[in-house]
This record gives sequence, structure tokens and C-alpha cells, in this order.
Amino acid sequence: MGNTLHAYEHVQDVYLPIAVGVFVVVVGTLLVLLARGGRRKVPGGRSQALVLEAVYAGALALVAAFLLWVTFTAETPIDRTAAHPGFRIRVIAAQWSWRFVYPDGVSVADVDTWHPTPAYVPTGTEVEFAGSSEDVIHGFWVPELHYQRQLVPGYTTRFDLLFQKPGYYGGECSVLCGEDHSEMHFALEAVSLQRFRGWLAREASRQELAS
Amino acid sequence: MNAVAVPARAASRTLASTDHKRIASAACMVAFLFFLAGGLLALLMRSQLAADGGVVSQQTYNELFTMHGSTMVYLVIVPVALAVGLYFVPLQVGAAEIAGPRVALAGLWMLVCGGMAMWSGFLTSGGAAAASWWGFDPLSDSIHSPGSGMELWIFGVMLATLGQILWAGCILSTALRRRAPGMTLMRMPVFTWTMVVTCLMVVFGFPALLLALGLLWAQRHFGGVLVGGAGAVDYQALFWFYGHPVVYVMFFPFVGMVGEVLATFSSRRFFGYSAFVVALLAFAGLSMTVWAHHMFTFGVLSNKYFALTSTALIVPAGIEYFDFLATLWRGSLRFTTAFLFALGFLVQFLVGGLTGVILASPPLDYGLNMSYFVVAHFHYTIFAGSAFGLFAGIYYWFPKITGTMLRERLGKLHFVLMVLGTNVTFFPMFILGAEGMTRRIARYPASTGWQGLNILETAGSAVIALSVLVFMANMLVSLRDRHPAGDDPWGAHTLEWATSSPPPRHNFRALPAIRSYAPLLDLREAREDVNV
Repeated sequence: MGNTLHAYEHVQDVYLPIAVGVFVVVVGTLLVLLARGGRRKVPGGRSQALVLEAVYAGALALVAAFLLWVTFTAETPIDRTAAHPGFRIRVIAAQWSWRFVYPDGVSVADVDTWHPTPAYVPTGTEVEFAGSSEDVIHGFWVPELHYQRQLVPGYTTRFDLLFQKPGYYGGECSVLCGEDHSEMHFALEAVSLQRFRGWLAREASRQELAS
Repeated sequence: MNAVAVPARAASRTLASTDHKRIASAACMVAFLFFLAGGLLALLMRSQLAADGGVVSQQTYNELFTMHGSTMVYLVIVPVALAVGLYFVPLQVGAAEIAGPRVALAGLWMLVCGGMAMWSGFLTSGGAAAASWWGFDPLSDSIHSPGSGMELWIFGVMLATLGQILWAGCILSTALRRRAPGMTLMRMPVFTWTMVVTCLMVVFGFPALLLALGLLWAQRHFGGVLVGGAGAVDYQALFWFYGHPVVYVMFFPFVGMVGEVLATFSSRRFFGYSAFVVALLAFAGLSMTVWAHHMFTFGVLSNKYFALTSTALIVPAGIEYFDFLATLWRGSLRFTTAFLFALGFLVQFLVGGLTGVILASPPLDYGLNMSYFVVAHFHYTIFAGSAFGLFAGIYYWFPKITGTMLRERLGKLHFVLMVLGTNVTFFPMFILGAEGMTRRIARYPASTGWQGLNILETAGSAVIALSVLVFMANMLVSLRDRHPAGDDPWGAHTLEWATSSPPPRHNFRALPAIRSYAPLLDLREAREDVNV
């Protein structure tokens, strides 16, 4: 199950404490060395310890291996797209707009805006996005899900997102795409599958009437 | 007549000399001017973000960060790293000359002309280039970036880069072919070794940028070269094949400077020399294999492979840090300005390095890529790291270059202000990035609540500017009212301190015996043994 939020938090919970710990140990060691070295008049000590450094390098390699194991086990499920996603939505990016197209022709467009009209998505089931770009590279980024993909013209980029909690998810273009890059926002509104179907049906009839 | 002849001779000495020391000094001055210009652009950008978009238009803002990044990478940090090598590698290996002095002089003029071409984009009707320092296709093609600003940028970057490749060739040949008798490869000073691996990366990695920009130029004029999505991916793969080695080109020389400074002011031999050299070579080798970690969110290349190579970098990086700390161990420390900047490098670069490990993990990168977290990360490496290493090198070597000591009290004021400014400017960017602030935006909605931290960052950038002014004042005061340096004011270890300050045209009148990577320390220790 491709839960990007969960994968991010899982990896972060391992990486961040290690990073903070390494920082504290190095800076602590440095402070001790400075305090002692500032008082010493005659320098001394050896200038090489190859065996110690080889053992230390081995330990670093083990740390790297552990970090990679955490990363790979978290990455595999979120890189995979489900064979039978709960829903498929096309995302089309262009300078400077987003368009979300649903299977039965319903579409939501946000052009050059900080106040986007939310495109609805169902909660609790994988939603497959098929992203593409009409001109330059754009970035589909939903910060709350800790997930982004670059939409490259000429490619269809497929990825799954899982919306566990209902609510409003803001999104931005993350890749510089020209003059109005700052204005290229979109929004997703996650609702229960039942409410989602209702919204889709209402939108279908409303958009049919409008055309 | 004399009144004309003297300045004319001074000008020709500065501009057309084939003395590697003059070429390097001129290159440093050129890079410093570009540093001031690029810094001004940064201050404008910071004003824009503090005022939430009220200062310049979006298109102008795009030009500002494009030219800020391009200037700092192509015209400041890379050239200054190589220029310090041009100056000191011949001296450190006991050579009378650089290999290929005319080629090195050509490199200086390519830097000057390339930089002026890039900046002259501001004078064109369409403005300067605005497609970021990557200049990535298709945003940089003739449809999405019409006008001559982009053309001048491509031409300028190619020219400056070609000059850098020439410099790397000169430095590499000097280290490999011009060493004094007794100076074996494994007796070359730490800084010279960092320059050797730097130049290897320049020689192997930089041609990829020339190729990428050449293809981009052809695409703009003839089309059909970088086609569709494959073209966009190809351009970025080529660009990052340059772009990742260049990250370490902007890092290693400063590691070398910090290593020399730590050993000298600990009054003891650099610790773990041979492990350090092996780590540098491993680092440089790995640096050629990690480029697509900049492309994790493309999802078209093998993320796991690039995560593996990128994370493996913690092994050589960890060895370097170990050697730095072990050099301080049982040393007798002298807290000079140069030493303080070296310590600043150690602590602050660590923040940049550790966040780099975080970004090397694709599940984390998916959430943080292209955000201010990345901006914070690379400013902690390039500014809080490399620029501090550079200032360590400047306070250390200024007496050798000019024969004059820099003022220590002004230097310490410079250091304190720069530490304060740097951390206030760049640390909040980690928070903003994790909260979802995208890089390269000219405005953001007020509802995000990001303005407070942005104002704080802008205040920090003003403190950085103030610290640079203090540095300039220090140089002026020190050059006006000179405190003579003598040959070796620090009790240093390497050959550049075995000659006068500044060194004569052909560097040395006589060379001491070279029996290790610290020949002057050997001499002192031998004298002490005799005295005992």
C-alpha cells in the first residue's frame, strides 16, 4: 500500500535522530578538544592510526547500509503503482495552470491562482494520478503528503497517493516553470468514497448543462 | 612620461603577466567583485521575500535568482577555488612556475569575458537569463526563454567553464610533473592533494556542461536536438553529471585550506594523512556516480542506485571529519581568526552534510526536493561551509600573498558577525521548506504565515553584508598601515612558507629538504632535537 505520508515519517524517525545525534557528538568532541588544546603548551600525540581508521570506516559503512535498508524498504511500496487503484485521475500541468480530468469527463481547472477550486479525491483508497505537462517541466507537490513528482512534457508520470484523512490538501508547482511559477497552486479535497461519488455525479451533470 | 608609464606597467603586470601568482591574484579579485555583485542580487531577493513580493516583478525575481546562483557557482566559488590552487599548488610542491602559464592567463580572460557576457543580459530588452542556474530545457529553449539574455548566459557560462577546465589542466600538470626533488606524491601537502582531486573532477565532469549547453544552444537555433521529454531528461542528466562533481569542486579545496589551518594552529602534524588522501580519491570517484540524486522526483532513473552511491559518501566524509578532529587532539591550539573560520566550517558544514544524507533518501527527498529545505542545505554547504573555509584560507595566506598581516580584532568581528548572519539567514529555511515553501517563488500567500521567518532571514542577510564590509575594511586598513608578515608568521608546515612574502617571481631562492608532507615542521623538530 503506497502510503507516502507513512513512508516519509518512518524514514524521518530514523534519520533525524541519527543526524542530530551525530551533530551533538561531533560538536561535543570538538568543544572538549578545544578546551583541552587551548591550555596545552607542548603538542604531542601520534599522527596516524590506520587500523583504527579502517575499523571506523567499516562502522560507517554499516551505518550507511542500515540507512539504505530503512530507505529501500520504505521506498519500494511508494514507487509501485497499484494494479487496480480505487480511482484514476489525469493531471495536466501547463504554464500556469492545473487541470484534473476524471474518467467520465468531469474536469477541474485552476489557472494562475492562490485560491484554487478543490478537485475531489476519495479517502481510504489508492488514487492513481497520471500526470503530464503541455510545455515545460512542472512539479506536482502536495506538502502535507510529503510527495512530489516532476511532470516532464512527453512523458506520462504515474503515481499513487493515499488520502487517509478527509480534508483540504494544498498543492503547488515545485519546479521553476517561468514567470508565474509562484502562482501555480492547486488543491485537493479528500472526502469519503460515498461523498466523492455524489460530488462526481453532481459535477458531471453541472458540467454537461454548462456545455 | 613616468606618470603614464608606471600605471601602464602596473596594469600590464596585473592583466598580462604569466606569473601564476599574479594570474591567481587577479582571478581572486575578479571573483570577489562578482561575489559582491551576486551578493547584492541576494539582498534584493531577500528584500522581495521579506516584503512578500512588493519589490520587483516576478520575471525580474526569476532573473535575480538565476543570476545570483549562476554568478556564485560559475564566477565565484569555482573560480576562486581553482585560483587559490593556481597560486599555492606550485609553491606547495616547490615548483618555480605553473605548467602552461599562458593557458592559465587565457583562463583568467575567459572568466572575465564569460562573466561580463552573462551579466550583460541585464542590458538587453528582454532582461537577463531567468531559467535558474541549471538553465534547464525546455524552459530555456527559444520558445519559453526567447531573447538574447539567455544566449549571453549560455555563451558566458561556456566560456567561464572552458577557462576553468584549462586552469584545472595547469594545476594538475604542475602537481604531477613539476614537483621539487624529494616531493613524492605522498608528500604533497593536504591542500595540494585536495586540488589534485578537484582538478580531476573538473577535467572529467566539466566537459559534460559544455556538451549540455552546446546542445541547448543548437536546440535554440536549429531545433530537433533536445526533443520533447527525452530531451529534457537528457539535458538534466548531462547537466547533473557536471553538477554533482561541481558540488565537490566547491568543497574539496576548502577542505584542504581548513586542513592546513587546523594543523598549523594545532602546532602539530596533520592527522591520518594517508587515510585522508585515500578518502579524497574515493570521494572524487563516488562523486562521478551520484548525479541523478538530483532527479529522484523524475522517477525515470534508478533511484535506489543513486541513493546507494550518495549514502556511501558518508564513509569518506566521516574519515575526513575524523582526521580533522584527531588533528586537534593533543594539539597546542592558537585561536587565530583563520582557526576560528576553520572551526566555523567544521560545525556549519556538518549541518549541510547531514541534511545531505537526509536528501539522499528518496522517500524524504520526495517531500523536500525543490523546497527551501534544499536551499538551506546547499547554502550550509557552500556558504556556511566553503565560504568559511575560504575565509580561513584568506586569513591564513593573506600575509604570504601581500607580505602584510590582516588585523586579528577586525577579523574576529568579521567572524562573529558572519556566524550570526549565516545561521539567522539560512537555518529558518529548513523550517520553511519542511512546511512547504517552494524555492524560486517571488511571492507567497499571506495565509501561509511564512512572512515572519522570511523577515528574520532578511535581517540575517543584512548582518552577512555587514560582515563582508568589515572584511573589506580589514583589508584596506591592513594594506594602508602595514604590519609586515615575514616569511612564516604562523609557524606553518609547508613549502610556501619557506620563501619570502610575497614570493619572488620564480618562487624560491632555495628549498629545504623534503622528507614528509610537513617539511618545515620536520626542520623545527630537528632543531629542537639538537637543542635538547
